[in-house]
Amino acid sequence: MTAQARFYDGRTAEAQEVDFRATAGELVILRPGDAGVVARWPVAELRVLGDVQHEAVPLVACAGSDARLVIADPERRRQLAAALPVLAKLAEAPPFVARRIALYGASLALLVGCLWAGIDLGAERIAPLVPFSWQQRLGESVLNDITDDKEMCDGTRGLEAINRLANRLAKVGGYDHEVSVYIVQGGPLNAFTLPGGIIVFYSDLIERARDGSEVAGVLAHELGHVLDHDSMKGLARQYGVELLLKLVTGGYSDSMGTLSSGGSLLYAQRNGRAAERAADATGVGLLEKEGLRADGVAGFFERLLKDGKPDAAEAAGIWSSHPPTRERIEATKRPATGKEPFTTAQWRALRAVCE
Amino acid sequence: MEQGATLSPPAGPWVHPPLSPPDLAPSRPLYDGKLSEIYAIYLRHLVLMLITLGWSRFWGRTRVRRYLWSHMSIFGDRFEYRGRAVELLIGFVLVLAILALWGGGIWLFVKVALDDKWPAHFGLLDAFYLSVVLIGFPLSFVGQYAGLRYRLSRTRWRAIRWSLASSAWRYGGLATFLTFANVVTGQLLTPLVSVNLARPRLANVGLGNGRFEFAGRAGDIYGRYVGYYFLNILAWIVVLVLCIAIAGHFIGETVGSADDLLKLFAQPSLRTILLAVAAAFGLYLLFSLLILPLRCWWQAYLLRYLVSHTRYRNVLFATSISTRQMWGFLVLNYLIVVLSLGLGWPWVIHRTLKLIASELWIYGTPDGARIEQSQARVPRFGEGLLDMFDVTGI
Repeated sequence: MTAQARFYDGRTAEAQEVDFRATAGELVILRPGDAGVVARWPVAELRVLGDVQHEAVPLVACAGSDARLVIADPERRRQLAAALPVLAKLAEAPPFVARRIALYGASLALLVGCLWAGIDLGAERIAPLVPFSWQQRLGESVLNDITDDKEMCDGTRGLEAINRLANRLAKVGGYDHEVSVYIVQGGPLNAFTLPGGIIVFYSDLIERARDGSEVAGVLAHELGHVLDHDSMKGLARQYGVELLLKLVTGGYSDSMGTLSSGGSLLYAQRNGRAAERAADATGVGLLEKEGLRADGVAGFFERLLKDGKPDAAEAAGIWSSHPPTRERIEATKRPATGKEPFTTAQWRALRAVCE
Repeated sequence: MEQGATLSPPAGPWVHPPLSPPDLAPSRPLYDGKLSEIYAIYLRHLVLMLITLGWSRFWGRTRVRRYLWSHMSIFGDRFEYRGRAVELLIGFVLVLAILALWGGGIWLFVKVALDDKWPAHFGLLDAFYLSVVLIGFPLSFVGQYAGLRYRLSRTRWRAIRWSLASSAWRYGGLATFLTFANVVTGQLLTPLVSVNLARPRLANVGLGNGRFEFAGRAGDIYGRYVGYYFLNILAWIVVLVLCIAIAGHFIGETVGSADDLLKLFAQPSLRTILLAVAAAFGLYLLFSLLILPLRCWWQAYLLRYLVSHTRYRNVLFATSISTRQMWGFLVLNYLIVVLSLGLGWPWVIHRTLKLIASELWIYGTPDGARIEQSQARVPRFGEGLLDMFDVTGI
């Protein structure tokens, strides 16, 4: 069998038009004019470089040599492959592109759906399993970062009072670890939870509270986050969604990274609103279980609204991590019954915690 | 003057020695890839990325390169990509290991040299991240050069290997210095930076035993750059003034106050979303009418200059890429990737290779017999730094 091809000898960039002949033991490459032998490649050393899916023309090479034989005509490649089974890859038919696109496209959509659901489920299940010492270390590191340039309130009796109530409520909620409450001097009117049972209050919130029940209401709400491991779940979700979006977008572009961050932020905020609703319910439940006044958190929010503080959550809408305040007031409204969460002396000490 | 000292005329009529006209026959690369085939490879890559949480990227990247290289040819001979995914994987793991050693070194320094006296507010991890950010900037340049060297070393044409000489560290140092100097001088050094960073990337490229040559000089393009520079400033001022005027008028007429605007976006209705999209499109239109054409004009000019000052032995290069084509390359490609959430990326690559094939002119034919296989050593692994410190493409 003789056919036309192009030959590169691997020593220079000269391209030669050649014929080739397959025998039982070797592939002989010949000059077309005088049938002079250009190269003789033993069959055992023949290789096909590449495949029809990726290479326009898979190349024939000889082991240990840089030389290449290029057979552009698919029919001639098939004939050679039929003569020399070691070159069978040359005869492969190009794959059906439309079928492959449909198959991989559908697989991609299915995988994205499964992973999306998996992230939600995984965050719920796995976050609480992270060893407490790791959570604590992470929480302390974030606490250091946040409070780095802030004054901390260190009134011993005030801190003792709020920590005692926090651990008492945590025990009621079935939390096995110690909860630590820190108070940062100044504002905003806020409190938040970190991994490892760490709760941070801003002193402005304590100063603004009318009585101990309002602080206890906020504390119980934060304990709701602690019991539900919300900060760890939030981290896991955010990391998972960012990773998913990065993988789906090929991870090639910075712009994609920005879009990914925006998408994962929205997703985190949606979950954040659900977690806040749950923490509100848990917090009120803890106080009621312990026979303490549970009207504090609703009262606190109501007073803020009456004082003319705009409802930031309502204004931010889908971008807010919290549900609208009015909705939270309705959900947590309770009668002013039950024991005071702090004694008069404790409340006084807490008010003076930054002095 | 003595008569005998004069030169005697030649015996017969003087004839010019025959000049063989240089072979400057023009040709262009040929790209015959199909978008659907690239998509089939790319979607498979994305599926595997999801299954392996990104670790299959080295294999995906290699497959796409094999396809693209093989579907591009010059003088009727196709390129060949012979890189292996495992080389990319090892390159990445090596850089990971070096970073781990670096982190260990910082820890040891704090423990031994500082005797654990480390400022409480600046954690060990903070020090590690800061150091990585600081070294990451120059290392991304080193990675770009080393990555180019790796890709060229795995590329063959007519079975002859390509190469990139010189040190990646030298390039990294030069690029860091020039980029920093350009920032400090308000981008006024851009022509100097462009030419001096293009030079090593072009003049150090080799095919076999032959080397490319680059004869560009920053002085040649400074005049046009200065014009572009001040026109650009003027265009920004016009765009900003127009934006403020239009936005102020729009808010005043249709919304009321800034607070009302915030309320609208808190609970966006379909109308609000459509209005926001229309406003964004309007702003983009303004930007794309005034700023981007200027930028594309400069970039097209720069590319034409760089290409036309590059040669390989007797082979010369030129491109007539226009401002409109550069807009398609820089702006449209960007929009395709962003608006398709990355899924348009194969289309962008396909468009780009088609552009190269249609706009790169090659004058002359290389003498294949004189281009010999280079015996220079080739890198064993590749692109680890690029993968770690830079956004990598194909």
